[in-house]
Amino acid sequence: MNRNLARILAALAGAVMVTLPALAGAYPLQVARNIMLYMALAVTWDMLLRSGQISFGIAGLFGLGAYASILAVLRAGMPALLSIPFAALLSGVVALIIGFLILRLRAMYFSIVTLALAEIFRIVIQNLVDFTGGPEGVIMKGRIFGGSDSGIYWLTLCGLFVALGASYWFEKSKIHFALTAIRNNEVSARTSGVDIFRWLLLAFVVTSTIQGFLGGIYVQSYGFATPDSVFSADFTLLPLAMALLGGIHSTVGPILGAVLLGLASEYLKLQIPYGHLVVYGIIIIIVILFMPQGLLGLFRKATRGGKGRAS
Amino acid sequence: MILEIAGLETGYGKLRVLSGVSLSIGAESVGLFGPNGAGKTTLINTIMGMNRVWKGSVRFEGRDIGGLPTHEVARAGIALVPQERELFPLMSVADNLALGAAFIPHVVSRKEELLEQVLALFPILKERYRQLAGTMSGGQQRQVAIGRALMANPKLLILDEPSLGLQPSIVAEVFERLGQLKKTVSILVTEQNVRESLRAVDRGLVLENGAIVIEGTAAELARNPHVERSYLGI
Repeated sequence: MNRNLARILAALAGAVMVTLPALAGAYPLQVARNIMLYMALAVTWDMLLRSGQISFGIAGLFGLGAYASILAVLRAGMPALLSIPFAALLSGVVALIIGFLILRLRAMYFSIVTLALAEIFRIVIQNLVDFTGGPEGVIMKGRIFGGSDSGIYWLTLCGLFVALGASYWFEKSKIHFALTAIRNNEVSARTSGVDIFRWLLLAFVVTSTIQGFLGGIYVQSYGFATPDSVFSADFTLLPLAMALLGGIHSTVGPILGAVLLGLASEYLKLQIPYGHLVVYGIIIIIVILFMPQGLLGLFRKATRGGKGRAS
Repeated sequence: MILEIAGLETGYGKLRVLSGVSLSIGAESVGLFGPNGAGKTTLINTIMGMNRVWKGSVRFEGRDIGGLPTHEVARAGIALVPQERELFPLMSVADNLALGAAFIPHVVSRKEELLEQVLALFPILKERYRQLAGTMSGGQQRQVAIGRALMANPKLLILDEPSLGLQPSIVAEVFERLGQLKKTVSILVTEQNVRESLRAVDRGLVLENGAIVIEGTAAELARNPHVERSYLGI
Protein backbone atom coordinates (compact mmCIF):
# COMPACT_ATOMS: atom_id res chain seq x y z
CA MET A 1 0.00 0.00 0.00
CA ASN A 2 1.16 3.53 -0.75
CA ARG A 3 2.89 4.71 2.41
CA ASN A 4 1.33 8.17 2.47
CA LEU A 5 -2.13 6.75 1.95
CA ALA A 6 -1.51 4.20 4.69
CA ARG A 7 -0.37 6.95 7.07
CA ILE A 8 -3.44 9.08 6.32
CA LEU A 9 -5.77 6.12 6.85
CA ALA A 10 -3.98 5.16 10.08
CA ALA A 11 -4.24 8.75 11.36
CA LEU A 12 -7.94 8.87 10.49
CA ALA A 13 -8.57 5.52 12.15
CA GLY A 14 -6.63 6.66 15.22
CA ALA A 15 -8.66 9.88 15.42
CA VAL A 16 -11.94 7.96 15.15
CA MET A 17 -10.85 5.47 17.82
CA VAL A 18 -9.74 8.17 20.26
CA THR A 19 -12.82 10.37 19.87
CA LEU A 20 -15.39 7.59 19.72
CA PRO A 21 -16.03 7.28 23.49
CA ALA A 22 -16.83 11.01 23.67
CA LEU A 23 -19.15 10.96 20.67
CA ALA A 24 -20.87 7.58 20.57
CA GLY A 25 -23.42 5.91 22.80
CA ALA A 26 -23.29 2.49 24.47
CA TYR A 27 -24.30 0.42 21.42
CA PRO A 28 -21.77 1.85 18.91
CA LEU A 29 -19.09 1.53 21.58
CA GLN A 30 -19.93 -2.12 22.07
CA VAL A 31 -19.82 -2.73 18.31
CA ALA A 32 -16.43 -0.97 18.19
CA ARG A 33 -15.17 -3.10 21.10
CA ASN A 34 -16.26 -6.28 19.35
CA ILE A 35 -14.55 -5.24 16.15
CA MET A 36 -11.35 -4.33 18.00
CA LEU A 37 -11.34 -7.60 19.91
CA TYR A 38 -11.80 -9.73 16.78
CA MET A 39 -9.32 -7.54 14.92
CA ALA A 40 -6.71 -8.23 17.60
CA LEU A 41 -7.44 -11.98 17.45
CA ALA A 42 -7.24 -11.90 13.63
CA VAL A 43 -3.86 -10.16 13.79
CA THR A 44 -2.48 -12.73 16.27
CA TRP A 45 -3.75 -15.61 14.13
CA ASP A 46 -2.02 -14.08 11.13
CA MET A 47 1.23 -13.59 13.07
CA LEU A 48 1.59 -17.34 13.49
CA LEU A 49 0.34 -17.97 9.97
CA ARG A 50 3.35 -16.04 8.66
CA SER A 51 5.40 -19.11 9.58
CA GLY A 52 3.04 -21.34 7.57
CA GLN A 53 1.47 -22.85 10.69
CA ILE A 54 -2.33 -22.69 10.64
CA SER A 55 -3.80 -22.67 14.13
CA PHE A 56 -7.41 -23.53 14.87
CA GLY A 57 -6.81 -23.08 18.57
CA ILE A 58 -7.49 -19.35 19.03
CA ALA A 59 -10.68 -19.99 21.01
CA GLY A 60 -8.77 -22.38 23.27
CA LEU A 61 -6.13 -19.86 24.36
CA PHE A 62 -8.71 -17.07 24.46
CA GLY A 63 -11.04 -19.12 26.67
CA LEU A 64 -8.15 -20.22 28.86
CA GLY A 65 -7.20 -16.57 29.40
CA ALA A 66 -10.81 -15.67 30.12
CA TYR A 67 -11.13 -18.36 32.80
CA ALA A 68 -7.69 -17.57 34.26
CA SER A 69 -8.72 -13.95 34.68
CA ILE A 70 -12.16 -14.48 36.15
CA LEU A 71 -11.05 -17.30 38.47
CA ALA A 72 -8.08 -15.25 39.67
CA VAL A 73 -10.54 -12.55 40.73
CA LEU A 74 -13.17 -14.87 42.20
CA ARG A 75 -10.99 -17.54 43.82
CA ALA A 76 -7.81 -15.63 44.69
CA GLY A 77 -9.18 -12.12 45.18
CA MET A 78 -6.85 -10.67 42.56
CA PRO A 79 -7.70 -7.14 41.36
CA ALA A 80 -9.61 -7.30 38.06
CA LEU A 81 -7.06 -5.21 36.17
CA LEU A 82 -4.15 -7.32 37.40
CA SER A 83 -5.98 -10.53 36.46
CA ILE A 84 -5.68 -9.61 32.76
CA PRO A 85 -1.87 -9.72 32.53
CA PHE A 86 -2.05 -12.78 34.79
CA ALA A 87 -4.30 -14.43 32.17
CA ALA A 88 -1.78 -13.51 29.48
CA LEU A 89 1.08 -14.97 31.49
CA LEU A 90 -0.77 -18.22 32.16
CA SER A 91 -1.72 -18.63 28.50
CA GLY A 92 1.87 -17.95 27.53
CA VAL A 93 3.24 -20.56 29.94
CA VAL A 94 0.68 -23.14 28.76
CA ALA A 95 1.60 -22.34 25.13
CA LEU A 96 5.29 -22.75 25.97
CA ILE A 97 4.69 -26.23 27.39
CA ILE A 98 2.33 -27.25 24.58
CA GLY A 99 4.65 -25.72 22.00
CA PHE A 100 7.47 -28.07 22.95
CA LEU A 101 5.13 -30.98 22.23
CA ILE A 102 3.33 -29.89 19.07
CA LEU A 103 5.62 -27.56 17.12
CA ARG A 104 7.35 -30.47 15.43
CA LEU A 105 4.08 -31.02 13.60
CA ARG A 106 3.33 -29.33 10.31
CA ALA A 107 0.40 -28.50 8.07
CA MET A 108 -2.91 -30.19 8.88
CA TYR A 109 -1.41 -32.23 11.74
CA PHE A 110 -0.58 -29.02 13.62
CA SER A 111 -3.98 -27.51 12.77
CA ILE A 112 -5.91 -30.54 13.99
CA VAL A 113 -3.93 -30.73 17.23
CA THR A 114 -4.59 -27.05 17.99
CA LEU A 115 -8.28 -27.62 17.34
CA ALA A 116 -8.24 -30.64 19.65
CA LEU A 117 -6.39 -28.73 22.36
CA ALA A 118 -9.02 -25.98 22.34
CA GLU A 119 -11.67 -28.64 22.84
CA ILE A 120 -9.63 -30.28 25.62
CA PHE A 121 -9.36 -26.95 27.47
CA ARG A 122 -13.12 -26.51 27.20
CA ILE A 123 -13.91 -30.03 28.43
CA VAL A 124 -11.46 -29.82 31.34
CA ILE A 125 -12.89 -26.49 32.49
CA GLN A 126 -16.44 -27.72 32.05
CA ASN A 127 -15.72 -30.73 34.26
CA LEU A 128 -13.91 -28.97 37.10
CA VAL A 129 -17.31 -28.01 38.42
CA ASP A 130 -16.28 -26.98 41.95
CA PHE A 131 -13.54 -24.68 40.75
CA THR A 132 -14.85 -23.34 37.43
CA GLY A 133 -18.61 -23.53 37.91
CA GLY A 134 -18.91 -26.28 35.29
CA PRO A 135 -21.23 -25.82 32.30
CA GLU A 136 -23.05 -22.97 34.03
CA GLY A 137 -19.84 -20.99 34.41
CA VAL A 138 -19.03 -18.24 36.89
CA ILE A 139 -20.28 -14.70 37.38
CA MET A 140 -18.48 -11.75 38.97
CA LYS A 141 -20.27 -9.34 41.25
CA GLY A 142 -19.58 -6.50 38.88
CA ARG A 143 -17.66 -5.66 35.73
CA ILE A 144 -14.29 -3.98 35.52
CA PHE A 145 -14.27 -0.15 35.94
CA GLY A 146 -17.76 -0.45 37.45
CA GLY A 147 -19.10 -1.41 34.02
CA SER A 148 -18.11 1.95 32.50
CA ASP A 149 -18.54 1.67 28.73
CA SER A 150 -15.75 4.10 27.99
CA GLY A 151 -13.40 2.43 30.52
CA ILE A 152 -13.99 -0.97 28.93
CA TYR A 153 -13.57 0.60 25.49
CA TRP A 154 -10.13 1.97 26.43
CA LEU A 155 -9.16 -1.40 27.89
CA THR A 156 -10.12 -3.18 24.66
CA LEU A 157 -8.25 -0.56 22.65
CA CYS A 158 -5.22 -1.29 24.82
CA GLY A 159 -5.58 -5.01 23.93
CA LEU A 160 -5.73 -4.10 20.25
CA PHE A 161 -2.62 -1.95 20.51
CA VAL A 162 -0.74 -4.79 22.19
CA ALA A 163 -1.65 -7.09 19.27
CA LEU A 164 -0.82 -4.44 16.64
CA GLY A 165 2.45 -3.58 18.39
CA ALA A 166 3.49 -7.22 18.48
CA SER A 167 2.53 -7.65 14.83
CA TYR A 168 4.55 -4.58 13.89
CA TRP A 169 7.50 -5.99 15.84
CA PHE A 170 7.15 -9.26 13.93
CA GLU A 171 7.04 -7.39 10.62
CA LYS A 172 9.95 -5.05 11.20
CA SER A 173 12.43 -7.32 12.97
CA LYS A 174 14.45 -10.40 12.14
CA ILE A 175 11.36 -12.44 13.09
CA HIS A 176 9.82 -11.50 9.74
CA PHE A 177 12.78 -13.03 7.93
CA ALA A 178 12.72 -16.15 10.06
CA LEU A 179 9.00 -16.82 9.76
CA THR A 180 8.85 -16.04 6.03
CA ALA A 181 11.85 -18.28 5.40
CA ILE A 182 10.24 -21.13 7.36
CA ARG A 183 6.99 -20.72 5.41
CA ASN A 184 8.76 -20.51 2.04
CA ASN A 185 11.23 -23.33 2.37
CA GLU A 186 12.25 -25.13 5.56
CA VAL A 187 15.32 -26.80 4.08
CA SER A 188 16.74 -23.50 2.86
CA ALA A 189 15.80 -21.84 6.13
CA ARG A 190 17.74 -24.45 8.12
CA THR A 191 20.75 -24.30 5.86
CA SER A 192 20.71 -20.50 6.23
CA GLY A 193 21.13 -20.88 9.99
CA VAL A 194 17.48 -20.43 11.01
CA ASP A 195 16.65 -22.37 14.17
CA ILE A 196 13.15 -23.28 13.02
CA PHE A 197 11.85 -24.67 16.31
CA ARG A 198 13.00 -21.64 18.29
CA TRP A 199 11.27 -19.12 16.00
CA LEU A 200 8.07 -21.16 15.79
CA LEU A 201 8.03 -21.43 19.58
CA LEU A 202 8.50 -17.67 19.92
CA ALA A 203 5.66 -16.96 17.50
CA PHE A 204 3.36 -19.51 19.16
CA VAL A 205 4.03 -18.26 22.69
CA VAL A 206 3.72 -14.56 21.81
CA THR A 207 0.45 -15.02 19.90
CA SER A 208 -1.00 -17.30 22.59
CA THR A 209 -0.04 -14.83 25.31
CA ILE A 210 -1.89 -12.04 23.51
CA GLN A 211 -4.89 -14.30 22.90
CA GLY A 212 -5.00 -15.04 26.64
CA PHE A 213 -4.67 -11.31 27.35
CA LEU A 214 -7.65 -10.62 25.08
CA GLY A 215 -9.62 -13.40 26.78
CA GLY A 216 -8.97 -11.65 30.10
CA ILE A 217 -10.16 -8.32 28.72
CA TYR A 218 -13.26 -9.95 27.26
CA VAL A 219 -14.31 -11.69 30.45
CA GLN A 220 -13.69 -8.62 32.58
CA SER A 221 -15.80 -6.60 30.14
CA TYR A 222 -18.81 -8.87 30.48
CA GLY A 223 -18.32 -10.10 34.05
CA PHE A 224 -19.08 -13.76 33.44
CA ALA A 225 -17.70 -16.83 31.72
CA THR A 226 -19.24 -20.11 30.60
CA PRO A 227 -17.42 -22.77 28.57
CA ASP A 228 -19.83 -22.21 25.68
CA SER A 229 -19.34 -18.46 25.63
CA VAL A 230 -15.57 -18.05 25.96
CA PHE A 231 -14.59 -21.19 24.03
CA SER A 232 -17.11 -20.38 21.28
CA ALA A 233 -16.11 -21.32 17.71
CA ASP A 234 -16.75 -17.65 16.89
CA PHE A 235 -13.39 -16.77 18.44
CA THR A 236 -11.64 -19.05 15.96
CA LEU A 237 -13.78 -18.70 12.84
CA LEU A 238 -14.35 -14.95 12.82
CA PRO A 239 -10.70 -13.89 13.16
CA LEU A 240 -9.76 -16.47 10.54
CA ALA A 241 -12.41 -15.18 8.11
CA MET A 242 -11.38 -11.58 8.79
CA ALA A 243 -7.70 -12.22 8.11
CA LEU A 244 -8.48 -14.20 4.96
CA LEU A 245 -10.84 -11.53 3.65
CA GLY A 246 -8.47 -8.65 4.33
CA GLY A 247 -5.29 -10.40 3.26
CA ILE A 248 -2.95 -12.71 5.12
CA HIS A 249 0.73 -12.33 6.05
CA SER A 250 0.40 -8.68 7.03
CA THR A 251 -0.94 -6.45 9.79
CA VAL A 252 -3.08 -4.32 7.50
CA GLY A 253 -5.01 -7.24 5.96
CA PRO A 254 -6.61 -8.52 9.19
CA ILE A 255 -7.41 -4.91 10.20
CA LEU A 256 -9.21 -4.34 6.90
CA GLY A 257 -11.03 -7.67 7.13
CA ALA A 258 -12.07 -7.06 10.74
CA VAL A 259 -13.60 -3.66 9.96
CA LEU A 260 -15.55 -4.96 6.96
CA LEU A 261 -16.64 -8.25 8.45
CA GLY A 262 -17.20 -6.75 11.91
CA LEU A 263 -19.65 -4.20 10.55
CA ALA A 264 -21.27 -6.81 8.31
CA SER A 265 -21.64 -9.20 11.25
CA GLU A 266 -23.64 -6.68 13.25
CA TYR A 267 -26.03 -6.41 10.35
CA LEU A 268 -26.13 -10.16 9.76
CA LYS A 269 -26.76 -10.96 13.42
CA LEU A 270 -29.91 -8.87 13.24
CA GLN A 271 -31.02 -10.38 9.93
CA ILE A 272 -30.15 -14.06 10.53
CA PRO A 273 -29.33 -14.44 14.25
CA TYR A 274 -28.68 -18.20 14.10
CA GLY A 275 -27.16 -18.41 10.66
CA HIS A 276 -24.57 -15.66 10.41
CA LEU A 277 -21.72 -18.15 10.82
CA VAL A 278 -22.85 -19.77 7.59
CA VAL A 279 -22.13 -16.46 5.86
CA TYR A 280 -18.59 -16.46 7.32
CA GLY A 281 -18.10 -19.99 6.00
CA ILE A 282 -19.21 -18.88 2.56
CA ILE A 283 -16.85 -15.88 2.72
CA ILE A 284 -13.90 -18.17 3.59
CA ILE A 285 -14.72 -20.46 0.64
CA ILE A 286 -15.08 -17.55 -1.80
CA VAL A 287 -11.85 -15.90 -0.64
CA ILE A 288 -9.82 -19.13 -0.84
CA LEU A 289 -11.17 -19.92 -4.29
CA PHE A 290 -11.04 -16.52 -5.94
CA MET A 291 -8.71 -14.21 -4.03
CA PRO A 292 -6.26 -16.16 -1.85
CA GLN A 293 -4.33 -12.96 -1.06
CA GLY A 294 -7.54 -11.23 0.11
CA LEU A 295 -8.58 -7.64 -0.54
CA LEU A 296 -5.09 -6.36 0.20
CA GLY A 297 -3.70 -8.70 -2.46
CA LEU A 298 -6.20 -7.36 -4.99
CA PHE A 299 -5.26 -3.81 -4.03
CA ARG A 300 -1.54 -4.53 -4.40
CA LYS A 301 -2.10 -6.20 -7.74
CA ALA A 302 -4.08 -3.23 -8.97
CA THR A 303 -1.53 -0.65 -7.81
CA ARG A 304 1.72 -2.47 -8.58
CA GLY A 305 0.81 -4.73 -11.45
CA GLY A 306 1.30 -7.82 -9.33
CA LYS A 307 4.75 -7.02 -8.00
CA GLY A 308 3.91 -7.37 -4.34
CA ARG A 309 6.13 -7.07 -1.34
CA ALA A 310 8.03 -10.15 -0.29
CA SER A 311 5.53 -12.37 1.43
CA MET B 1 41.98 -30.03 6.70
CA ILE B 2 38.65 -28.21 6.89
CA LEU B 3 36.37 -31.23 6.59
CA GLU B 4 37.32 -34.75 7.62
CA ILE B 5 34.92 -37.66 7.28
CA ALA B 6 35.99 -41.06 8.57
CA GLY B 7 34.19 -44.38 8.20
CA LEU B 8 30.81 -42.74 7.70
CA GLU B 9 27.80 -45.02 7.60
CA THR B 10 24.25 -43.76 7.24
CA GLY B 11 20.98 -44.41 5.45
CA TYR B 12 17.21 -44.20 5.68
CA GLY B 13 15.27 -46.52 7.96
CA LYS B 14 16.93 -49.90 7.53
CA LEU B 15 18.41 -49.04 4.14
CA ARG B 16 22.16 -48.42 4.34
CA VAL B 17 23.19 -45.84 1.75
CA LEU B 18 26.75 -44.97 2.76
CA SER B 19 29.03 -47.71 4.00
CA GLY B 20 32.33 -46.48 5.38
CA VAL B 21 32.90 -43.26 3.44
CA SER B 22 36.14 -41.47 4.31
CA LEU B 23 37.30 -38.24 2.73
CA SER B 24 38.98 -34.98 3.59
CA ILE B 25 38.84 -31.51 2.08
CA GLY B 26 41.35 -28.74 2.58
CA ALA B 27 41.73 -25.33 0.94
CA GLU B 28 40.65 -26.64 -2.47
CA SER B 29 37.68 -27.49 -4.63
CA VAL B 30 36.59 -31.09 -4.74
CA GLY B 31 34.14 -32.73 -7.13
CA LEU B 32 32.04 -35.64 -5.93
CA PHE B 33 30.84 -37.78 -8.81
CA GLY B 34 28.72 -40.85 -9.12
CA PRO B 35 25.60 -42.29 -10.70
CA ASN B 36 22.07 -41.56 -9.46
CA GLY B 37 21.47 -43.34 -6.17
CA ALA B 38 25.18 -43.59 -5.31
CA GLY B 39 24.63 -41.57 -2.14
CA LYS B 40 25.97 -38.12 -3.07
CA THR B 41 22.99 -36.17 -1.74
CA THR B 42 22.82 -38.45 1.30
CA LEU B 43 26.45 -37.64 2.06
CA ILE B 44 25.75 -33.91 1.77
CA ASN B 45 22.62 -34.16 3.91
CA THR B 46 24.62 -35.99 6.56
CA ILE B 47 27.34 -33.34 6.59
CA MET B 48 24.60 -30.70 6.96
CA GLY B 49 22.96 -32.51 9.89
CA MET B 50 19.82 -33.47 7.99
CA ASN B 51 20.67 -37.16 8.20
CA ARG B 52 21.78 -39.03 11.32
CA VAL B 53 25.31 -40.46 11.44
CA TRP B 54 25.03 -44.21 12.08
CA LYS B 55 28.72 -44.85 12.43
CA GLY B 56 31.97 -42.93 11.88
CA SER B 57 32.60 -39.23 12.26
CA VAL B 58 32.17 -35.89 10.49
CA ARG B 59 34.64 -33.27 11.69
CA PHE B 60 34.71 -29.64 10.60
CA GLU B 61 37.81 -27.65 11.57
CA GLY B 62 38.57 -30.38 14.10
CA ARG B 63 35.12 -30.19 15.72
CA ASP B 64 32.76 -33.16 15.60
CA ILE B 65 29.60 -31.88 13.87
CA GLY B 66 28.01 -35.30 13.41
CA GLY B 67 25.15 -34.71 15.85
CA LEU B 68 24.60 -31.00 15.30
CA PRO B 69 21.27 -29.69 13.96
CA THR B 70 21.43 -28.14 10.49
CA HIS B 71 21.22 -24.50 11.59
CA GLU B 72 24.26 -24.99 13.85
CA VAL B 73 26.22 -26.66 11.06
CA ALA B 74 25.42 -23.59 8.93
CA ARG B 75 26.56 -21.27 11.73
CA ALA B 76 29.77 -23.26 12.09
CA GLY B 77 30.71 -22.21 8.54
CA ILE B 78 29.28 -24.70 6.04
CA ALA B 79 26.88 -23.32 3.43
CA LEU B 80 24.78 -25.47 1.16
CA VAL B 81 23.32 -24.70 -2.24
CA PRO B 82 20.80 -27.52 -2.43
CA GLN B 83 19.60 -29.38 -5.49
CA GLU B 84 16.64 -27.79 -7.31
CA ARG B 85 17.78 -24.32 -6.22
CA GLU B 86 15.68 -24.28 -3.02
CA LEU B 87 15.23 -20.53 -2.96
CA PHE B 88 12.73 -18.41 -1.10
CA PRO B 89 10.69 -17.81 -4.27
CA LEU B 90 8.27 -15.29 -2.79
CA MET B 91 11.09 -13.12 -1.44
CA SER B 92 12.99 -10.54 -3.46
CA VAL B 93 16.59 -11.13 -4.49
CA ALA B 94 17.55 -8.55 -1.85
CA ASP B 95 15.73 -10.44 0.90
CA ASN B 96 17.11 -13.80 -0.25
CA LEU B 97 20.65 -12.43 0.00
CA ALA B 98 20.05 -10.63 3.29
CA LEU B 99 18.62 -13.82 4.77
CA GLY B 100 21.84 -15.63 3.98
CA ALA B 101 23.67 -13.49 6.55
CA ALA B 102 20.86 -12.65 8.99
CA PHE B 103 21.09 -15.79 11.11
CA ILE B 104 24.83 -16.38 11.07
CA PRO B 105 25.97 -14.46 14.17
CA HIS B 106 29.59 -13.87 13.19
CA VAL B 107 28.77 -12.35 9.79
CA VAL B 108 25.84 -10.07 10.67
CA SER B 109 28.17 -7.09 11.19
CA ARG B 110 29.85 -7.73 7.81
CA LYS B 111 26.73 -8.14 5.72
CA GLU B 112 27.19 -4.93 3.67
CA GLU B 113 30.72 -5.91 2.70
CA LEU B 114 29.62 -9.46 1.83
CA LEU B 115 26.72 -8.13 -0.21
CA GLU B 116 29.09 -6.01 -2.28
CA GLN B 117 31.27 -9.06 -2.94
CA VAL B 118 28.29 -11.19 -3.98
CA LEU B 119 26.89 -8.50 -6.28
CA ALA B 120 30.32 -8.05 -7.85
CA LEU B 121 30.49 -11.79 -8.50
CA PHE B 122 26.93 -11.96 -9.88
CA PRO B 123 26.19 -8.55 -11.48
CA ILE B 124 22.79 -9.73 -12.73
CA LEU B 125 21.61 -9.88 -9.13
CA LYS B 126 22.27 -6.16 -8.76
CA GLU B 127 20.08 -5.48 -11.80
CA ARG B 128 17.31 -7.72 -10.46
CA TYR B 129 17.77 -6.74 -6.83
CA ARG B 130 14.08 -5.98 -6.12
CA GLN B 131 12.64 -8.76 -8.28
CA LEU B 132 10.93 -11.75 -6.66
CA ALA B 133 13.42 -14.61 -6.83
CA GLY B 134 10.78 -17.10 -8.00
CA THR B 135 10.15 -15.06 -11.15
CA MET B 136 13.76 -15.26 -12.40
CA SER B 137 15.19 -17.68 -14.96
CA GLY B 138 16.74 -20.98 -13.85
CA GLY B 139 20.31 -19.74 -14.21
CA GLN B 140 19.59 -16.54 -12.35
CA GLN B 141 17.89 -18.45 -9.55
CA ARG B 142 20.99 -20.62 -9.26
CA GLN B 143 23.06 -17.45 -8.89
CA VAL B 144 20.70 -16.21 -6.16
CA ALA B 145 21.07 -19.55 -4.35
CA ILE B 146 24.88 -19.42 -4.56
CA GLY B 147 24.86 -15.75 -3.60
CA ARG B 148 22.71 -16.46 -0.56
CA ALA B 149 25.09 -19.21 0.52
CA LEU B 150 28.09 -16.88 0.10
CA MET B 151 26.41 -14.21 2.25
CA ALA B 152 27.08 -16.56 5.19
CA ASN B 153 30.81 -16.13 4.48
CA PRO B 154 31.30 -19.90 4.66
CA LYS B 155 34.58 -21.70 5.01
CA LEU B 156 33.15 -24.62 3.06
CA LEU B 157 30.63 -24.20 0.25
CA ILE B 158 28.72 -27.30 -0.78
CA LEU B 159 26.84 -27.34 -4.07
CA ASP B 160 24.53 -30.22 -4.85
CA GLU B 161 24.17 -30.66 -8.62
CA PRO B 162 24.49 -26.96 -9.49
CA SER B 163 24.00 -27.59 -13.22
CA LEU B 164 20.78 -29.56 -12.80
CA GLY B 165 18.09 -28.28 -15.14
CA LEU B 166 20.25 -25.54 -16.66
CA GLN B 167 21.00 -25.03 -20.35
CA PRO B 168 24.64 -25.70 -21.39
CA SER B 169 25.65 -22.03 -21.80
CA ILE B 170 24.45 -21.27 -18.26
CA VAL B 171 26.21 -24.39 -16.92
CA ALA B 172 29.52 -23.07 -18.30
CA GLU B 173 28.86 -19.74 -16.58
CA VAL B 174 28.10 -21.41 -13.26
CA PHE B 175 31.36 -23.40 -13.42
CA GLU B 176 33.27 -20.27 -14.38
CA ARG B 177 31.98 -18.63 -11.20
CA LEU B 178 32.95 -21.72 -9.18
CA GLY B 179 36.44 -21.41 -10.63
CA GLN B 180 36.59 -17.84 -9.27
CA LEU B 181 35.16 -18.85 -5.91
CA LYS B 182 37.66 -21.60 -5.18
CA LYS B 183 40.32 -18.97 -4.56
CA THR B 184 38.50 -17.78 -1.45
CA VAL B 185 36.46 -20.71 -0.12
CA SER B 186 36.76 -24.50 -0.02
CA ILE B 187 34.22 -26.14 -2.29
CA LEU B 188 32.59 -29.54 -2.42
CA VAL B 189 30.45 -29.97 -5.52
CA THR B 190 28.43 -32.99 -6.61
CA GLU B 191 27.76 -33.25 -10.30
CA GLN B 192 26.43 -35.48 -13.04
CA ASN B 193 28.17 -33.24 -15.57
CA VAL B 194 31.64 -34.67 -14.87
CA ARG B 195 33.32 -33.30 -17.99
CA GLU B 196 32.44 -29.68 -17.20
CA SER B 197 33.13 -29.91 -13.49
CA LEU B 198 36.56 -31.57 -13.89
CA ARG B 199 37.65 -28.30 -15.52
CA ALA B 200 36.65 -26.33 -12.42
CA VAL B 201 37.77 -28.56 -9.52
CA ASP B 202 41.22 -29.40 -8.15
CA ARG B 203 40.41 -32.92 -7.10
CA GLY B 204 37.70 -35.50 -7.62
CA LEU B 205 36.08 -38.42 -5.80
CA VAL B 206 33.89 -41.10 -7.31
CA LEU B 207 31.15 -42.49 -5.11
CA GLU B 208 29.55 -45.76 -6.14
CA ASN B 209 27.25 -48.00 -4.11
CA GLY B 210 27.83 -45.97 -0.98
CA ALA B 211 31.64 -46.02 -1.03
CA ILE B 212 34.44 -43.91 -2.49
CA VAL B 213 35.93 -46.05 -5.28
CA ILE B 214 38.27 -43.58 -7.03
CA GLU B 215 40.11 -40.54 -5.72
CA GLY B 216 42.62 -38.26 -7.43
CA THR B 217 43.38 -34.92 -9.00
CA ALA B 218 41.10 -33.64 -11.74
CA ALA B 219 43.72 -34.59 -14.35
CA GLU B 220 44.09 -38.09 -12.91
CA LEU B 221 40.35 -38.62 -12.94
CA ALA B 222 40.09 -37.38 -16.53
CA ARG B 223 42.58 -40.09 -17.54
CA ASN B 224 41.09 -42.86 -15.40
CA PRO B 225 39.64 -45.60 -17.67
CA HIS B 226 36.62 -46.23 -15.39
CA VAL B 227 35.81 -42.52 -15.24
CA GLU B 228 36.31 -42.19 -19.01
CA ARG B 229 34.01 -45.14 -19.69
CA SER B 230 31.31 -44.47 -17.10
CA TYR B 231 31.18 -40.70 -16.80
CA LEU B 232 32.88 -39.11 -19.81
CA GLY B 233 31.38 -41.35 -22.46
CA ILE B 234 34.76 -42.13 -24.06
